[in-house]
Amino acid sequence: MQNDNSLIRDLKAKDERALSLLYDKYSGAIYSVILKMIRDEGKAQNLLQDTFMTVWEKAERYDETKGRFYTWVYRIAKNKTLNVLRKTDVLIQTDDFSVHTNKEDAISIEPEYLELNGAVTTLDAHHKEAIELVYFKGLTHKEAHQQMDVPLGTFKSYIRQALKQLRETYAKSLSLILLILNAL
Amino acid sequence: MDKKTLLENGLLEQYVLGELNTEQCEQIEQLLASDVELKAHFDQLEADFENLGLENAIPPPALVKSKLLKDLKTTPNETPKVVTLNKNNNTKVYLGIAASVAALLMIGSFWMYSQLNDVKEQLQIVEMNNTELNSTIEVLNVKLKENNASFNAIINPDTEQYILKGNALSPEAKVVSYVNHKSKSVIINTERLPELDADHDYQMWADVEGEMINMGVISKDKTIMTMAYIDDAESLNITIEPLGGNDHPTVERLVTNVYLR
Repeated sequence: MQNDNSLIRDLKAKDERALSLLYDKYSGAIYSVILKMIRDEGKAQNLLQDTFMTVWEKAERYDETKGRFYTWVYRIAKNKTLNVLRKTDVLIQTDDFSVHTNKEDAISIEPEYLELNGAVTTLDAHHKEAIELVYFKGLTHKEAHQQMDVPLGTFKSYIRQALKQLRETYAKSLSLILLILNAL
Repeated sequence: MDKKTLLENGLLEQYVLGELNTEQCEQIEQLLASDVELKAHFDQLEADFENLGLENAIPPPALVKSKLLKDLKTTPNETPKVVTLNKNNNTKVYLGIAASVAALLMIGSFWMYSQLNDVKEQLQIVEMNNTELNSTIEVLNVKLKENNASFNAIINPDTEQYILKGNALSPEAKVVSYVNHKSKSVIINTERLPELDADHDYQMWADVEGEMINMGVISKDKTIMTMAYIDDAESLNITIEPLGGNDHPTVERLVTNVYLR
Protein backbone atom coordinates (compact mmCIF):
# COMPACT_ATOMS: atom_id res chain seq x y z
CA MET A 1 0.00 0.00 0.00
CA GLN A 2 2.84 2.36 0.86
CA ASN A 3 4.38 1.55 -2.45
CA ASP A 4 1.10 2.19 -4.25
CA ASN A 5 0.69 5.53 -2.51
CA SER A 6 4.01 6.89 -3.68
CA LEU A 7 3.43 5.48 -7.18
CA ILE A 8 0.02 7.18 -7.31
CA ARG A 9 1.56 10.45 -6.18
CA ASP A 10 4.06 10.13 -9.04
CA LEU A 11 1.27 9.20 -11.43
CA LYS A 12 -0.60 12.38 -10.54
CA ALA A 13 2.63 14.28 -11.26
CA LYS A 14 2.53 12.72 -14.78
CA ASP A 15 5.39 10.31 -14.21
CA GLU A 16 5.27 7.69 -16.97
CA ARG A 17 7.33 5.25 -14.92
CA ALA A 18 4.61 5.24 -12.24
CA LEU A 19 1.95 4.45 -14.82
CA SER A 20 4.13 1.69 -16.21
CA LEU A 21 4.57 0.07 -12.76
CA LEU A 22 0.89 0.39 -11.83
CA TYR A 23 -0.01 -1.09 -15.22
CA ASP A 24 2.28 -4.05 -14.56
CA LYS A 25 0.60 -4.61 -11.22
CA TYR A 26 -3.07 -4.25 -12.19
CA SER A 27 -3.45 -4.69 -15.97
CA GLY A 28 -3.80 -8.49 -15.68
CA ALA A 29 -6.71 -8.34 -13.24
CA ILE A 30 -8.41 -5.56 -15.22
CA TYR A 31 -7.83 -7.31 -18.56
CA SER A 32 -9.41 -10.46 -17.15
CA VAL A 33 -12.55 -8.56 -16.12
CA ILE A 34 -12.83 -6.80 -19.48
CA LEU A 35 -12.29 -10.08 -21.38
CA LYS A 36 -14.94 -11.93 -19.40
CA MET A 37 -17.39 -9.10 -20.01
CA ILE A 38 -16.86 -8.44 -23.71
CA ARG A 39 -15.58 -11.88 -24.83
CA ASP A 40 -13.48 -10.43 -27.63
CA GLU A 41 -9.71 -10.23 -27.27
CA GLY A 42 -9.21 -7.40 -29.76
CA LYS A 43 -11.88 -5.22 -28.20
CA ALA A 44 -10.66 -6.14 -24.72
CA GLN A 45 -7.13 -4.99 -25.57
CA ASN A 46 -8.42 -1.68 -26.91
CA LEU A 47 -10.55 -1.20 -23.81
CA LEU A 48 -7.61 -2.03 -21.53
CA GLN A 49 -5.45 0.55 -23.28
CA ASP A 50 -8.30 3.06 -23.19
CA THR A 51 -8.79 2.40 -19.46
CA PHE A 52 -5.19 3.10 -18.59
CA MET A 53 -5.16 6.14 -20.85
CA THR A 54 -8.07 7.47 -18.77
CA VAL A 55 -6.15 6.56 -15.60
CA TRP A 56 -3.26 8.64 -16.93
CA GLU A 57 -5.37 11.60 -17.97
CA LYS A 58 -7.73 11.65 -14.97
CA ALA A 59 -5.26 10.59 -12.27
CA GLU A 60 -5.80 13.75 -10.25
CA ARG A 61 -9.47 12.83 -9.85
CA TYR A 62 -8.60 9.69 -7.90
CA ASP A 63 -9.17 10.25 -4.16
CA GLU A 64 -7.30 7.68 -2.07
CA THR A 65 -9.43 8.47 1.01
CA LYS A 66 -12.50 7.09 -0.79
CA GLY A 67 -11.10 3.73 -1.76
CA ARG A 68 -8.35 1.62 -3.27
CA PHE A 69 -6.67 2.45 -6.57
CA TYR A 70 -7.63 -0.95 -7.95
CA THR A 71 -11.33 -0.26 -7.24
CA TRP A 72 -11.11 3.04 -9.08
CA VAL A 73 -9.48 1.47 -12.15
CA TYR A 74 -11.95 -1.46 -12.02
CA ARG A 75 -14.89 0.95 -12.16
CA ILE A 76 -13.39 2.85 -15.11
CA ALA A 77 -12.79 -0.40 -17.04
CA LYS A 78 -16.25 -1.73 -16.23
CA ASN A 79 -18.02 1.47 -17.33
CA LYS A 80 -16.08 1.64 -20.59
CA THR A 81 -16.81 -2.02 -21.35
CA LEU A 82 -20.51 -1.64 -20.51
CA ASN A 83 -20.70 1.38 -22.84
CA VAL A 84 -19.28 -0.66 -25.70
CA LEU A 85 -21.60 -3.60 -24.91
CA ARG A 86 -24.65 -1.33 -24.80
CA LYS A 87 -23.87 0.18 -28.18
CA THR A 88 -23.37 -3.26 -29.70
CA ASP A 89 -26.56 -4.54 -28.08
CA VAL A 90 -28.63 -1.66 -29.45
CA LEU A 91 -27.28 -2.28 -32.94
CA ILE A 92 -27.89 -6.01 -32.77
CA GLN A 93 -31.39 -5.61 -31.34
CA THR A 94 -32.53 -3.10 -33.93
CA ASP A 95 -31.06 -5.09 -36.78
CA ASP A 96 -31.86 -8.67 -35.96
CA PHE A 97 -33.18 -10.20 -32.74
CA SER A 98 -31.93 -13.69 -33.49
CA VAL A 99 -28.32 -12.55 -33.44
CA HIS A 100 -28.65 -11.30 -29.90
CA THR A 101 -29.75 -14.70 -28.61
CA ASN A 102 -26.85 -16.31 -30.41
CA LYS A 103 -24.37 -13.90 -28.87
CA GLU A 104 -22.98 -16.50 -26.51
CA ASP A 105 -21.84 -18.58 -29.48
CA ALA A 106 -20.26 -15.70 -31.36
CA ILE A 107 -17.23 -15.31 -29.18
CA SER A 108 -13.71 -14.75 -30.38
CA ILE A 109 -11.83 -15.77 -27.26
CA GLU A 110 -9.91 -18.67 -25.76
CA PRO A 111 -12.37 -20.63 -23.55
CA GLU A 112 -9.85 -20.73 -20.69
CA TYR A 113 -10.01 -16.94 -20.42
CA LEU A 114 -13.63 -17.30 -19.28
CA GLU A 115 -12.79 -19.76 -16.51
CA LEU A 116 -12.30 -18.54 -12.96
CA ASN A 117 -9.24 -19.29 -10.90
CA GLY A 118 -8.13 -19.20 -7.31
CA ALA A 119 -10.21 -19.13 -4.18
CA VAL A 120 -13.45 -18.39 -6.03
CA THR A 121 -13.35 -21.92 -7.49
CA THR A 122 -13.64 -23.44 -4.04
CA LEU A 123 -17.03 -21.74 -3.52
CA ASP A 124 -20.41 -23.44 -3.85
CA ALA A 125 -21.68 -23.27 -7.43
CA HIS A 126 -24.42 -20.67 -6.73
CA HIS A 127 -22.04 -18.48 -4.72
CA LYS A 128 -19.48 -18.70 -7.47
CA GLU A 129 -22.05 -17.82 -10.10
CA ALA A 130 -23.29 -14.81 -8.13
CA ILE A 131 -19.77 -13.44 -7.82
CA GLU A 132 -19.04 -14.16 -11.48
CA LEU A 133 -22.16 -12.29 -12.63
CA VAL A 134 -21.60 -9.06 -10.71
CA TYR A 135 -17.84 -9.00 -10.61
CA PHE A 136 -16.70 -10.49 -13.89
CA LYS A 137 -19.70 -10.08 -16.19
CA GLY A 138 -20.56 -6.56 -15.11
CA LEU A 139 -24.18 -7.23 -14.29
CA THR A 140 -25.93 -5.18 -11.63
CA HIS A 141 -27.38 -6.93 -8.61
CA LYS A 142 -30.85 -6.45 -10.14
CA GLU A 143 -29.87 -7.98 -13.47
CA ALA A 144 -27.94 -10.79 -11.81
CA HIS A 145 -30.74 -11.97 -9.49
CA GLN A 146 -33.08 -12.10 -12.49
CA GLN A 147 -30.50 -14.06 -14.42
CA MET A 148 -30.12 -16.56 -11.55
CA ASP A 149 -33.87 -16.50 -11.02
CA VAL A 150 -33.67 -15.92 -7.26
CA PRO A 151 -35.09 -13.03 -5.20
CA LEU A 152 -32.85 -9.97 -4.86
CA GLY A 153 -32.52 -10.47 -1.09
CA THR A 154 -31.37 -14.05 -1.59
CA PHE A 155 -28.92 -12.97 -4.23
CA LYS A 156 -27.47 -10.34 -1.91
CA SER A 157 -26.96 -12.93 0.80
CA TYR A 158 -25.21 -15.19 -1.79
CA ILE A 159 -22.76 -12.39 -2.41
CA ARG A 160 -22.25 -11.74 1.30
CA GLN A 161 -21.65 -15.42 2.07
CA ALA A 162 -19.40 -15.84 -0.95
CA LEU A 163 -17.26 -12.93 0.16
CA LYS A 164 -17.11 -14.26 3.72
CA GLN A 165 -15.90 -17.63 2.47
CA LEU A 166 -13.38 -16.00 0.18
CA ARG A 167 -12.04 -13.97 3.07
CA GLU A 168 -11.58 -17.10 5.13
CA THR A 169 -9.72 -18.76 2.29
CA TYR A 170 -7.48 -15.75 1.86
CA ALA A 171 -6.88 -15.62 5.63
CA LYS A 172 -5.98 -19.32 5.58
CA SER A 173 -3.56 -18.94 2.70
CA LEU A 174 -2.14 -15.88 4.43
CA SER A 175 -1.61 -17.83 7.69
CA LEU A 176 -0.16 -20.67 5.62
CA ILE A 177 2.32 -18.29 4.10
CA LEU A 178 3.10 -16.88 7.54
CA LEU A 179 3.55 -20.45 8.82
CA ILE A 180 5.95 -21.27 5.98
CA LEU A 181 7.80 -18.02 6.57
CA ASN A 182 8.07 -18.85 10.28
CA ALA A 183 9.25 -22.35 9.51
CA LEU A 184 11.97 -20.90 7.32
CA MET B 1 -29.68 5.56 5.08
CA ASP B 2 -27.93 4.20 8.15
CA LYS B 3 -25.19 1.71 8.85
CA LYS B 4 -27.56 -1.19 9.37
CA THR B 5 -29.43 -0.85 6.05
CA LEU B 6 -26.13 -0.32 4.36
CA LEU B 7 -24.80 -3.64 5.59
CA GLU B 8 -28.01 -5.62 5.20
CA ASN B 9 -28.85 -4.39 1.72
CA GLY B 10 -25.41 -5.19 0.33
CA LEU B 11 -25.09 -1.56 -0.76
CA LEU B 12 -21.42 -1.51 0.17
CA GLU B 13 -20.74 -4.31 -2.33
CA GLN B 14 -22.69 -2.49 -5.00
CA TYR B 15 -20.77 0.67 -4.14
CA VAL B 16 -17.45 -1.08 -4.62
CA LEU B 17 -18.65 -2.56 -7.92
CA GLY B 18 -19.71 0.91 -9.08
CA GLU B 19 -23.40 0.08 -9.47
CA LEU B 20 -24.76 3.04 -7.48
CA ASN B 21 -25.78 6.52 -8.61
CA THR B 22 -23.99 9.68 -7.51
CA GLU B 23 -26.43 10.51 -4.71
CA GLN B 24 -26.12 7.05 -3.14
CA CYS B 25 -22.38 7.19 -3.49
CA GLU B 26 -22.18 10.50 -1.64
CA GLN B 27 -24.32 9.14 1.23
CA ILE B 28 -22.11 6.09 1.56
CA GLU B 29 -18.94 8.16 1.43
CA GLN B 30 -20.28 10.35 4.26
CA LEU B 31 -21.05 7.30 6.40
CA LEU B 32 -17.65 5.79 5.70
CA ALA B 33 -15.90 8.99 6.66
CA SER B 34 -17.72 9.18 9.99
CA ASP B 35 -17.73 5.50 11.02
CA VAL B 36 -14.38 3.81 11.63
CA GLU B 37 -15.85 0.32 12.04
CA LEU B 38 -17.79 0.63 8.80
CA LYS B 39 -14.66 1.91 7.06
CA ALA B 40 -12.71 -1.11 8.29
CA HIS B 41 -15.42 -3.40 6.91
CA PHE B 42 -15.35 -1.54 3.63
CA ASP B 43 -11.55 -1.75 3.43
CA GLN B 44 -11.79 -5.51 3.94
CA LEU B 45 -14.41 -5.75 1.18
CA GLU B 46 -12.24 -3.81 -1.24
CA ALA B 47 -9.22 -5.95 -0.39
CA ASP B 48 -11.28 -9.10 -1.05
CA PHE B 49 -12.46 -7.82 -4.40
CA GLU B 50 -8.91 -6.88 -5.30
CA ASN B 51 -7.61 -10.32 -4.32
CA LEU B 52 -10.37 -11.88 -6.40
CA GLY B 53 -9.32 -9.80 -9.36
CA LEU B 54 -5.59 -10.45 -8.98
CA GLU B 55 -6.16 -14.20 -8.60
CA ASN B 56 -7.99 -14.22 -11.91
CA ALA B 57 -5.51 -11.99 -13.73
CA ILE B 58 -4.84 -12.76 -17.37
CA PRO B 59 -1.62 -11.13 -18.63
CA PRO B 60 -2.48 -8.89 -21.58
CA PRO B 61 -0.23 -8.94 -24.67
CA ALA B 62 2.88 -6.76 -24.31
CA LEU B 63 1.73 -4.86 -27.39
CA VAL B 64 -1.03 -3.14 -25.38
CA LYS B 65 1.46 -1.63 -22.95
CA SER B 66 3.85 -0.47 -25.64
CA LYS B 67 0.94 1.13 -27.53
CA LEU B 68 -0.25 2.77 -24.31
CA LEU B 69 3.17 4.21 -23.50
CA LYS B 70 3.60 5.36 -27.10
CA ASP B 71 0.17 7.06 -27.01
CA LEU B 72 1.07 8.85 -23.77
CA LYS B 73 3.68 10.76 -25.68
CA THR B 74 1.07 11.99 -28.18
CA THR B 75 -1.62 12.73 -25.59
CA PRO B 76 -3.46 15.88 -26.75
CA ASN B 77 -2.91 17.90 -23.56
CA GLU B 78 0.73 17.00 -23.18
CA THR B 79 2.99 16.96 -26.16
CA PRO B 80 1.23 17.78 -29.44
CA LYS B 81 2.31 21.40 -29.39
CA VAL B 82 5.89 20.32 -28.89
CA VAL B 83 5.55 17.77 -31.66
CA THR B 84 4.04 20.26 -34.11
CA LEU B 85 6.65 22.81 -33.09
CA ASN B 86 9.32 20.23 -33.74
CA LYS B 87 7.80 19.56 -37.14
CA ASN B 88 7.68 23.28 -37.78
CA ASN B 89 11.23 23.55 -36.63
CA ASN B 90 12.21 20.78 -39.00
CA THR B 91 10.46 22.44 -41.92
CA LYS B 92 11.96 25.75 -40.82
CA VAL B 93 15.37 24.15 -40.78
CA TYR B 94 14.81 22.63 -44.22
CA LEU B 95 13.40 25.91 -45.54
CA GLY B 96 16.38 27.70 -44.02
CA ILE B 97 18.80 25.33 -45.70
CA ALA B 98 16.97 25.64 -49.02
CA ALA B 99 16.91 29.44 -48.71
CA SER B 100 20.61 29.54 -47.87
CA VAL B 101 21.42 27.33 -50.83
CA ALA B 102 19.27 29.49 -53.09
CA ALA B 103 20.88 32.65 -51.70
CA LEU B 104 24.35 31.20 -52.21
CA LEU B 105 23.46 30.22 -55.77
CA MET B 106 22.11 33.72 -56.45
CA ILE B 107 25.17 35.39 -54.96
CA GLY B 108 27.34 32.98 -56.92
CA SER B 109 25.45 33.77 -60.14
CA PHE B 110 25.74 37.51 -59.54
CA TRP B 111 29.42 37.15 -58.80
CA MET B 112 29.98 35.10 -61.94
CA TYR B 113 27.90 37.57 -63.99
CA SER B 114 29.96 40.53 -62.74
CA GLN B 115 33.13 38.53 -63.38
CA LEU B 116 31.91 37.84 -66.93
CA ASN B 117 31.25 41.57 -67.44
CA ASP B 118 34.69 42.43 -66.09
CA VAL B 119 36.29 39.91 -68.41
CA LYS B 120 34.29 41.30 -71.37
CA GLU B 121 35.43 44.84 -70.54
CA GLN B 122 39.01 43.71 -70.19
CA LEU B 123 38.75 41.87 -73.51
CA GLN B 124 37.46 45.07 -75.15
CA ILE B 125 40.34 47.05 -73.68
CA VAL B 126 42.80 44.43 -74.87
CA GLU B 127 41.23 44.48 -78.34
CA MET B 128 41.45 48.28 -78.41
CA ASN B 129 45.06 48.18 -77.25
CA ASN B 130 45.74 45.56 -79.87
CA THR B 131 44.27 47.73 -82.63
CA GLU B 132 46.21 50.73 -81.35
CA LEU B 133 49.37 48.69 -81.29
CA ASN B 134 48.71 47.45 -84.82
CA SER B 135 48.17 50.97 -86.11
CA THR B 136 51.23 52.13 -84.17
CA ILE B 137 53.21 49.35 -85.78
CA GLU B 138 51.93 50.42 -89.22
CA VAL B 139 52.87 54.01 -88.47
CA LEU B 140 56.24 52.89 -87.18
CA ASN B 141 56.76 50.73 -90.26
CA VAL B 142 56.01 53.69 -92.52
CA LYS B 143 58.33 55.85 -90.45
CA LEU B 144 60.97 53.14 -90.46
CA LYS B 145 60.77 52.90 -94.25
CA GLU B 146 61.01 56.67 -94.51
CA ASN B 147 63.84 56.77 -92.03
CA ASN B 148 65.61 53.94 -93.82
CA ALA B 149 65.18 55.74 -97.11
CA SER B 150 66.46 58.96 -95.55
CA PHE B 151 69.30 57.16 -93.83
CA ASN B 152 70.32 55.37 -97.01
CA ALA B 153 70.12 58.60 -98.89
CA ILE B 154 72.21 60.37 -96.25
CA ILE B 155 74.93 57.73 -95.97
CA ASN B 156 75.16 57.36 -99.75
CA PRO B 157 78.78 58.23 -100.81
CA ASP B 158 77.45 60.45 -103.59
CA THR B 159 75.50 62.57 -101.13
CA GLU B 160 76.82 66.03 -100.39
CA GLN B 161 76.04 67.80 -97.12
CA TYR B 162 75.22 71.53 -97.05
CA ILE B 163 74.50 73.42 -93.83
CA LEU B 164 72.11 76.39 -93.95
CA LYS B 165 72.91 78.78 -91.12
CA GLY B 166 70.39 81.36 -89.94
CA ASN B 167 70.98 85.05 -90.83
CA ALA B 168 70.16 88.08 -88.66
CA LEU B 169 66.42 87.38 -89.04
CA SER B 170 66.75 83.97 -87.39
CA PRO B 171 70.23 83.60 -85.94
CA GLU B 172 69.64 80.32 -84.13
CA ALA B 173 68.29 78.54 -87.22
CA LYS B 174 70.35 75.68 -88.65
CA VAL B 175 69.17 73.28 -91.36
CA VAL B 176 71.29 70.42 -92.69
CA SER B 177 70.58 69.44 -96.29
CA TYR B 178 71.75 66.26 -98.09
CA VAL B 179 71.88 66.59 -101.83
CA ASN B 180 72.61 63.72 -104.21
CA HIS B 181 73.09 64.94 -107.72
CA LYS B 182 73.25 61.40 -109.15
CA SER B 183 69.97 60.15 -107.77
CA LYS B 184 68.60 63.72 -107.80
CA SER B 185 67.30 63.79 -104.24
CA VAL B 186 67.25 66.38 -101.48
CA ILE B 187 66.72 65.51 -97.81
CA ILE B 188 66.75 68.12 -95.04
CA ASN B 189 67.00 68.03 -91.26
CA THR B 190 64.86 70.86 -89.81
CA GLU B 191 65.47 69.97 -86.20
CA ARG B 192 67.07 73.34 -85.40
CA LEU B 193 64.55 75.57 -87.23
CA PRO B 194 62.80 77.89 -84.73
CA GLU B 195 59.06 77.30 -84.43
CA LEU B 196 56.72 79.59 -86.40
CA ASP B 197 53.29 80.93 -85.47
CA ALA B 198 50.21 79.11 -86.75
CA ASP B 199 49.80 81.54 -89.75
CA HIS B 200 53.20 80.93 -91.39
CA ASP B 201 55.31 78.16 -92.92
CA TYR B 202 58.93 77.84 -93.98
CA GLN B 203 59.30 77.30 -97.70
CA MET B 204 62.43 76.15 -99.58
CA TRP B 205 63.60 77.55 -102.91
CA ALA B 206 66.30 76.69 -105.46
CA ASP B 207 68.08 79.55 -107.28
CA VAL B 208 68.52 78.65 -110.95
CA GLU B 209 70.15 81.42 -113.00
CA GLY B 210 68.59 84.14 -110.79
CA GLU B 211 65.15 82.58 -110.67
CA MET B 212 63.72 81.11 -107.42
CA ILE B 213 62.06 77.76 -108.01
CA ASN B 214 59.82 76.18 -105.36
CA MET B 215 61.26 73.09 -103.65
CA GLY B 216 58.32 72.61 -101.25
CA VAL B 217 56.83 73.77 -98.00
CA ILE B 218 58.66 72.49 -94.91
CA SER B 219 56.33 70.42 -92.75
CA LYS B 220 55.97 71.55 -89.13
CA ASP B 221 55.71 68.02 -87.65
CA LYS B 222 58.67 66.35 -89.36
CA THR B 223 62.32 66.85 -88.64
CA ILE B 224 63.64 64.83 -91.63
CA MET B 225 61.89 65.37 -94.93
CA THR B 226 62.46 65.02 -98.66
CA MET B 227 62.28 68.11 -100.84
CA ALA B 228 62.05 68.44 -104.62
CA TYR B 229 65.40 68.25 -106.48
CA ILE B 230 65.90 71.06 -108.92
CA ASP B 231 68.49 70.68 -111.74
CA ASP B 232 71.26 73.24 -111.99
CA ALA B 233 70.40 74.87 -108.68
CA GLU B 234 73.09 77.30 -107.53
CA SER B 235 71.86 77.83 -104.00
CA LEU B 236 69.25 76.62 -101.50
CA ASN B 237 67.10 79.25 -99.73
CA ILE B 238 64.47 79.15 -96.96
CA THR B 239 61.92 81.94 -96.50
CA ILE B 240 59.00 82.53 -94.17
CA GLU B 241 55.77 82.48 -96.14
CA PRO B 242 52.04 82.63 -95.33
CA LEU B 243 50.53 79.28 -94.25
CA GLY B 244 50.53 76.75 -97.10
CA GLY B 245 53.38 78.36 -99.03
CA ASN B 246 53.68 80.99 -101.77
CA ASP B 247 54.15 81.11 -105.59
CA HIS B 248 57.04 83.57 -105.28
CA PRO B 249 59.45 83.90 -102.41
CA THR B 250 59.14 86.82 -100.02
CA VAL B 251 62.84 87.72 -100.23
CA GLU B 252 62.63 90.15 -97.31
CA ARG B 253 61.90 87.19 -95.07
CA LEU B 254 64.76 84.95 -96.14
CA VAL B 255 66.15 83.30 -93.02
CA THR B 256 69.01 81.23 -94.44
CA ASN B 257 70.72 80.16 -97.62
CA VAL B 258 73.70 78.14 -98.84
CA TYR B 259 75.54 78.02 -102.17
CA LEU B 260 76.01 74.66 -103.85
CA ARG B 261 79.49 73.89 -105.23
